[in-house]
Amino acid sequence: MFSDVEISVFLDELEEKIQVLSDGFLQLEKEGSDPQVLQEIFRAAHTVKGSSGVMGYDRMSRLTHEMENLFDLMRQGRLKINEEMVDVLFEALDTLKALRDEVTGQGGPVDIEGVIEKIRRFVAGGERRKAGRASSPDSGPENVPPQGILDLTEVEEEVICEAYIRGQHAYRIQVTVDSQCQMKSVRAFLVFQTLYECGEIIKALPPAEKLQEGEYDNTFEVILLTAEDIGRIRHLLMTISEIVSVEIEPVVLSDDRVQDLVAGDSAEEQSDKKQPMEEPTGKTGAPLQTREAEGPPKQVKTVRIDVEKLDNLMNLVGELVIDRTRLDRLAEIFKSRYGSDDLVEVLDEISNHLGQLTNGLQEQIMKARMLPVAQVFNRFPRMVRDLAHKLGKEIDFVIEGKETELDRNVIEVIGDPLIHLLRNAVDHGIEPPEERVAAGKPRTGTIRLKAFHEENHIVIFIEDDGRGIDVNKIRNRAVERGLVDAEMAERLTDREVLDFIFAPGFSLAEQVTDLSGRGVGMDVVRRQIGQINGFVELATALGKGTKLTIKLPLTLAIIRALMVQVDKQVYALPLVNVMETIRIFPAAVQKIRQSEVIIVRGQALPLVWLAEAFGSQRKEAARVYVVIVGVGNQRLGVAVERLLGEQEVVIKSLGNYLGRIPGLSGATILGDGEVALIVDIRGLVSEFVRGDAVEEAAYAAG
Amino acid sequence: MAQKAEGICREEQVVVFELAGQTYGVEIGSVSEIIRMENITRVPRAPEFVEGVINLRGRIIPVLDLRKRFGLPEGEHTRRSRIIIAEIGSMTVGMIVDAVLEVLRIPVDGIEPPPPVVDGVDVVYLRGITLHGERLVILLNLEKVLYEEEKEALAEAGEEIGLPA
Repeated sequence: MFSDVEISVFLDELEEKIQVLSDGFLQLEKEGSDPQVLQEIFRAAHTVKGSSGVMGYDRMSRLTHEMENLFDLMRQGRLKINEEMVDVLFEALDTLKALRDEVTGQGGPVDIEGVIEKIRRFVAGGERRKAGRASSPDSGPENVPPQGILDLTEVEEEVICEAYIRGQHAYRIQVTVDSQCQMKSVRAFLVFQTLYECGEIIKALPPAEKLQEGEYDNTFEVILLTAEDIGRIRHLLMTISEIVSVEIEPVVLSDDRVQDLVAGDSAEEQSDKKQPMEEPTGKTGAPLQTREAEGPPKQVKTVRIDVEKLDNLMNLVGELVIDRTRLDRLAEIFKSRYGSDDLVEVLDEISNHLGQLTNGLQEQIMKARMLPVAQVFNRFPRMVRDLAHKLGKEIDFVIEGKETELDRNVIEVIGDPLIHLLRNAVDHGIEPPEERVAAGKPRTGTIRLKAFHEENHIVIFIEDDGRGIDVNKIRNRAVERGLVDAEMAERLTDREVLDFIFAPGFSLAEQVTDLSGRGVGMDVVRRQIGQINGFVELATALGKGTKLTIKLPLTLAIIRALMVQVDKQVYALPLVNVMETIRIFPAAVQKIRQSEVIIVRGQALPLVWLAEAFGSQRKEAARVYVVIVGVGNQRLGVAVERLLGEQEVVIKSLGNYLGRIPGLSGATILGDGEVALIVDIRGLVSEFVRGDAVEEAAYAAG
Repeated sequence: MAQKAEGICREEQVVVFELAGQTYGVEIGSVSEIIRMENITRVPRAPEFVEGVINLRGRIIPVLDLRKRFGLPEGEHTRRSRIIIAEIGSMTVGMIVDAVLEVLRIPVDGIEPPPPVVDGVDVVYLRGITLHGERLVILLNLEKVLYEEEKEALAEAGEEIGLPA
C-alpha cells in the first residue's frame, strides 16, 4: 500500500526518533527528570505512534502509545523516574528497534506484550496518584468518554501554539462516515492519509489505532495542524467515498494560555527557531496575527540525494578544474605573445573568475558530502552504558565535538574501529569501582570521545582514566609470541613496543571474555583506518589511563600530496604519510645483505628506489632525494629523482579493468591534463619494511 | 538497406583497422570513439600488454597495446596510430592500433569461422573472418581480447613482487 519511498521516509524518521529516545533515556538516567527532555521523548513517541499507525505497523503504534502514556505522566510530575523504570524504558527501546528490524525484514516477529505489561504497571501507579489529586482545577479531564468533545491537554495546546508560530493553524475536524459503511477502518485510514498530506494530526478521538481498526461509531474527530486552506481540506476529505460530512472549525485557545505558553516556551527553550518569538511584545490577544508580523520562521530545508550523484558532480568539477588550468595557460601564452592587448586582459579576467568559481564549486560539493560525526557517535552512549552495566563498572562517558563534519565515506568506515576501541576502554581500561577506590581514584571512571578539526584532518581521541597498559608486559608477550627476540625487545623504545598491540593476533588479556581479548581487534582497527588514509596511535601511562589518537582525512576524494618525478613520470605521495624529505650523497647508502639502508639522525631506515620498485632503472645522480614516509611507527626511505612540490589532487580509481595494483592506490589528473599515479605508501611500506629489515636496520644503527 | 527477395541479409558495421600489416575489424557498437595517440602514463606492475592510462575527459582509461596483446612484433607509434576506445560491459578500455582505415558494412552471412592460426594471433581472440572485396578482415572478439588469460596475467604480476594478487 505504501511505496518504497514512503517506507524509507518513515524509517528515516523512525531512526531519528529512536535516537532521540535513546539520548533522552540516557540523560534521564544521569540527571533525573528534566522537563525539556521529557517533552522531547514524549513528542518522539507521539510521532512514531502516529506515523507507524498510519503505515499499518500496529504493534509499533501500540508500543509507542504505551510509552507515550508513561512519558505523559512523567511530564506531569505524576511519576518519578527510577532505575527500574530506565531499564524498562531501554527494554521498550530495544523492542522498538526490533520492530523496526521486522519492518526492514532483518528480524523475526517481536513480542511486545511483556514490555507493554511492564510499562502499564508504571502507568497504573501514576494514574492512581493522579486520581488522588484529581480536584486540581486546571488539570483537564484526561479520559474523555467516547463521542465527547475532543479535549486538549496542556502539551497539545503547547504544540498548537508552536504551530501558530510556524504559521500553521489548528483545526478540529469532525468526520462522519456513512452508517452503512462496510470498511470503516479503510475510510479512517484514508482520512488520516489525506490529512497527513496536508499537515500533522496531533490528536484523534477515538485514538488513531482504534480508528484504524474500525472501532468507532460513525463519527470521529481529529485535531490537525496545517497551513492549508479549510476549503481545500474539506474538499479533499469529501472525495473519499462513504464520507457523508466533514465539519471543520478552528481550535481556539484562550489568550492567557497562549501568552503563558509562548512566554514559557521561550524562557524554557533557547532554540534558534523561536528567537523571533522571544519577546512577544505587542501580544494583545490574537496569536494568529503574530506570525504575520514576525514573518515566517527559518526552516531547515533538506533534500535527500544519492551519493553517486554527488560523486558525478565531483568528477565534473574535476574536469572543470583541468580545463580552467588549461585556459590559464593559454592566457599566459597570449599575454607573452600579444602583450597587454585588451582582449588578452579580458581573457585573463575570465580565466581568473572561472578559477574562483570552480574553487567555490569544488568546496561546496565537498561540503555537501560531509556529515556530522554525531551520525556514528550517537550510537555509543547506549553501548558504553550497557557494557558498563554488564561488567559492573561505573563510567562517565563524555562526548565532545559531535558536530565535527567528515566525508560520508569516512563516516561509514570509522564506526567499527571506534566500537572496538570503546569496548577495549570499557573492558580493559576502566577498572572496577573498588579497584579504583583502592588506587585512590574516583569511583567512576571517565571515557572521553572527542572529535575536532586540525588543519586538513579530523582528529578523534578516545581517552580513559583507567589502569593503562604495562609496556613491559607487552614486551614480554611479544617475546613469548616470537614477534621479537629478547635481546631485541630490550632495545626497542616504549613507543615501538606499544606498536605490537597492532600486530595481528596480539592480545594482552589474561582471559578471553566475550567482549575482547581474542586478539582480533587492534590490527583490524589499524587496517580499517589505514584504508581511508588515516592512522591510529596509542599512548598510555600505567595506572593513569590510555589515549588513542585517530587522525583521518577530511575527505577521501581529495588529498594533499607530494609530487615527485621518477623515470619521466609524475607520482603523487599522500602527504599524510610523508614525514620529511632529505637529500643524501649516494655514498651514504649502506648495504646490509640484500637491503639498502640510510642512517637518519642515528636511526637506520630501509631505503627503496621508487624507480626500481616500479620496474625501471635507478638514475645515478650526485645527490639523491629521499622522501621519508611512514605508516604507524614504520618508516621507509623512498629515493626519487626530483621533488615537484605539494599539491591537492583529486583521487580517481584506476578502474575495474586494472583492478588493484600493488603499490598504487589510484591516479589523478594534473593541471596539464596528464595522469599521475598515486603511490600506495601503506602497501610500499608493508612490502619493503619487513621484520628482519627493521632488525637489520636497528643492528646497523647499533 | 539492401534486402534480398527472401530472408533478410543482416549487416553489421565494423570499424576496420590495421595492425602489423593485417586488417582487423571490431563491431562498431562497442567502439565509443577513436582518438589520436596521446601521452600515455605507464602503470608499473600492470600486465605487460597494458601500455598505461590516459585521461579521457576526466576519466582514467587503461590503454592496451594490441601488438603486445597478440604477441606481434613491437612497432613504433606513428602519426597514423590511433587509440580505439571500446566499451565492453561496464569497462572502458583503449586499444592502440597502427591506423584506423574505415567503417565497413559487412553481411553477417559472410562471416566465417576463423582458421586455426592467423598470422600468429591466437584464435581465441577471434570471432571470424570475412572478405571485403580483395581484403581479408579479421574480426576480433573484444571480450576475449580484454579478458582471456588476463586474470592470470594480473595474478602473475602480483606474484612477481611477492604479493597475493
